[in-house]
Amino acid sequence: MAGIKALISLSFGGAIGLMFLMLGCALPVYDKYWPLFLLFFYILSPIPYCISRRVVDDTDSASNACKELAIFLTTGIVISAFGLPIIFARAEVIAWGACALVLTGNVVIFGTILGFFLVFGSNDDFSWQQW
Amino acid sequence: MLCSHDPVKQCNVSLWTRVMSGFLDGIRCGDCECNVDWGERRNAIASIAAGVLFFTGWWIIIDAAVKYPTEGEFHHAYHTCGVIATVAFLMINAVSNGQVRGDSYSEGCLGQTGARVWLFIGFMLAFGSLIASMWILFGGFVVPQKPAVYPGIAIFFQNAFIFFGLGLQVWAHRGSLAMCNLCSLLHCSYTIKSILVKISLRML
Repeated sequence: MAGIKALISLSFGGAIGLMFLMLGCALPVYDKYWPLFLLFFYILSPIPYCISRRVVDDTDSASNACKELAIFLTTGIVISAFGLPIIFARAEVIAWGACALVLTGNVVIFGTILGFFLVFGSNDDFSWQQW
Repeated sequence: MLCSHDPVKQCNVSLWTRVMSGFLDGIRCGDCECNVDWGERRNAIASIAAGVLFFTGWWIIIDAAVKYPTEGEFHHAYHTCGVIATVAFLMINAVSNGQVRGDSYSEGCLGQTGARVWLFIGFMLAFGSLIASMWILFGGFVVPQKPAVYPGIAIFFQNAFIFFGLGLQVWAHRGSLAMCNLCSLLHCSYTIKSILVKISLRML
């Protein structure tokens, strides 16, 4: 039951984050759809950590190196997702108000992804059969 | 990084180092911190911080390239500095992580001397790119009094951030074989220099 509640609240968080992203694009005062490139970074961000968890599953030294590389790449993707709207705004491709909305959406979505890993990712199985 | 489970095999000196073995007595490769939990957390936090610094550096230079796209404002060859710093970052991290696989290291394609040469070249490129970025800032932007100094500052900050990210990674892995290699390499180069000085004094 706790799994269902966590899942619903995480999906609500994801919806709010995507709402902020779409507001930053689709409001008539902004009307520029360049920030949708961030969806690419959102999809890419869980992948290194998932791969490292699948490839090595015991705590020997090789798995630590793999996990560290995955953490490094994930941090890079998150930083890129924050950097891209700022560069768009500085190059005057989008407005600064749109940039602020998109960055807020970023924070919410990455918080949701992190929450997903904390709540659902900490069992040894990494299976989808718990609910 | 966590120490391997076989410190004797780790410190199996090659023929080259056996020649210098008298000078290497001060270097103990076996005593690294084997505290697993804190070591893991420290390495994870160091990875996050190094990633933040590295990618922030790259986004700064992307920003400068977007704001000043012309050749006259931002000479495109200056990008080489950041690229070399990135290559050095990857080289040094490759060796630091390779040491962690305890047994497979001794059958690695480089061997111990090769790993030391690799690290030496990596650190040389890292230091060189940091110095080159300062040179570019002052020689290319400040002294000719260009109207837009921001690209030079961006190059400097990119390389500085990459260098600090590298420093964080190296500090976090200070108990690893890579650091033992570096210490013994520096010690050996110091003793080589002192031998050369003695020889040259004797010849004079």
